[in-house]
Amino acid sequence: MKTPIKILIIDDNEEIINVLYSFFINRRYNVSTAINGLDGLKLIEADNISFDLIITDLVMPNISGTAIITIVKKKYPTIPIIAITGWGEHPGALAAEAQADVILEKPFDLSELEKIVKKLLVKKTDRHKHGGRKKS
Amino acid sequence: MLPSIIGTSPTIIKIRELINHVADTGLNIVICGESGVGKEVVAQSLYQKSPRMGRPYIKINCAALPEGLLESELFGYEKGAFTGADQKKKGKFELANDGVLLLDEIGDMPMALQAKLLHVLQSGEFSPLGAEKDFKTDTWIIAATNHDLEQDVKDKKFREDLYYRLNIIKIYISPLRTRPEDIPLLLDYYINVYTPKFNSQYLLKPSQIEKLKKYHWPGNVRELQNILKRILVLGNCDEVIDELKYDGEKIYDSDFEKPTAHPSLLTEDLLTLELDNPQKVESFSLKKIKKKALDKIEKEVISNILNKTAWNRSKATKILKISYKTLLSKIKELEIEPLSSHNNESGVGKN
Repeated sequence: MKTPIKILIIDDNEEIINVLYSFFINRRYNVSTAINGLDGLKLIEADNISFDLIITDLVMPNISGTAIITIVKKKYPTIPIIAITGWGEHPGALAAEAQADVILEKPFDLSELEKIVKKLLVKKTDRHKHGGRKKS
Repeated sequence: MLPSIIGTSPTIIKIRELINHVADTGLNIVICGESGVGKEVVAQSLYQKSPRMGRPYIKINCAALPEGLLESELFGYEKGAFTGADQKKKGKFELANDGVLLLDEIGDMPMALQAKLLHVLQSGEFSPLGAEKDFKTDTWIIAATNHDLEQDVKDKKFREDLYYRLNIIKIYISPLRTRPEDIPLLLDYYINVYTPKFNSQYLLKPSQIEKLKKYHWPGNVRELQNILKRILVLGNCDEVIDELKYDGEKIYDSDFEKPTAHPSLLTEDLLTLELDNPQKVESFSLKKIKKKALDKIEKEVISNILNKTAWNRSKATKILKISYKTLLSKIKELEIEPLSSHNNESGVGKN
């Protein structure tokens, strides 16, 4: 049996978390959620989980999405990240600088999001063949 | 010695956790909270837990200097950059290279300098005044402020792009009055810090600690430190505590006479009212002070009696030996309201 794909969703908006959670759970993904950056970072740094993909909001209390992206890209460079933003141009520009794989502006279409997720996972598997995942 | 972040409140626990998770990232951080909550302690703790520990830790207060001076302090200048620049001066960005630069009171930074700071944060380069080329800098920026920067952005007092660039990580320290459970621990900690210095064994009684927990600490931990120092120096704990004002009222138990038992304080209060306002100095007179003092005492006495009689005006007139009409006009004139009394049984100090 195929192991389900592990996704982490970080957003301080519970409604968005709920929508994304049910959407991906129904499509047989293994979904974890965090309501702020710190909780998200704790899950990312936990030894027992390694996520295949992260979806994060950008403007959040304490640790912003930009911080999450920067930290993840430094410590776990192979995990693809999708940044979702609805706060004007600045957070998106910072996320791009932090090398988010895709920046998606709210509102977005869920099927569009799933397409992006699949695309990034294929890319990741391809990259995986050329080198293992670094965890430092 | 590691700076201590004292407390067991959820806020403090979360701050410690945040520090442990982000101290090694080198990402820009904004620490916010009221004056005296301990923003610099958090900054130092971040520095000490980071790989930059042992490298320079430079601090600059952005509110303390006029714009031109702040600019030359931040970026430095070359010899001959302007009249009087008879030698090169290194700026804080140069001094903090490889280390930490704490920009205190960032909310007070003038707009023109905000633009220059943004440029440094974007490019990692800065240019001293009069220099022909830019210099690379690898400085970890930690900013601190008691402003609500989000509001400042809305009010166009703070650049939005700079706000987002600094706000990669935000650490908010809530005011001390919202976490009274931390007060006994803070008292304990600072008594231990100060006691050797003052060579005095001093412990607070539980009732005194309770009073301090009810105080609203407008100056937060810094005020707590100062009050503790006063207690240790003066040795008269009750007196120092009783002088504290709780939301504009003193923390007292219900005793009726106490607030007016300090005539010198009353005078001081009235004098401060006049002298603090230069425009009013002109109209200052002993007669007016006398009227104000009388009004103040009358207001306190009348509201006290009204509260003690549950606002039964007839009863109050009998106790006060004034007519019903006079009482009504006094209530109106002195703006006495049922909840304004601080000396009745349900006073602050009792709860």
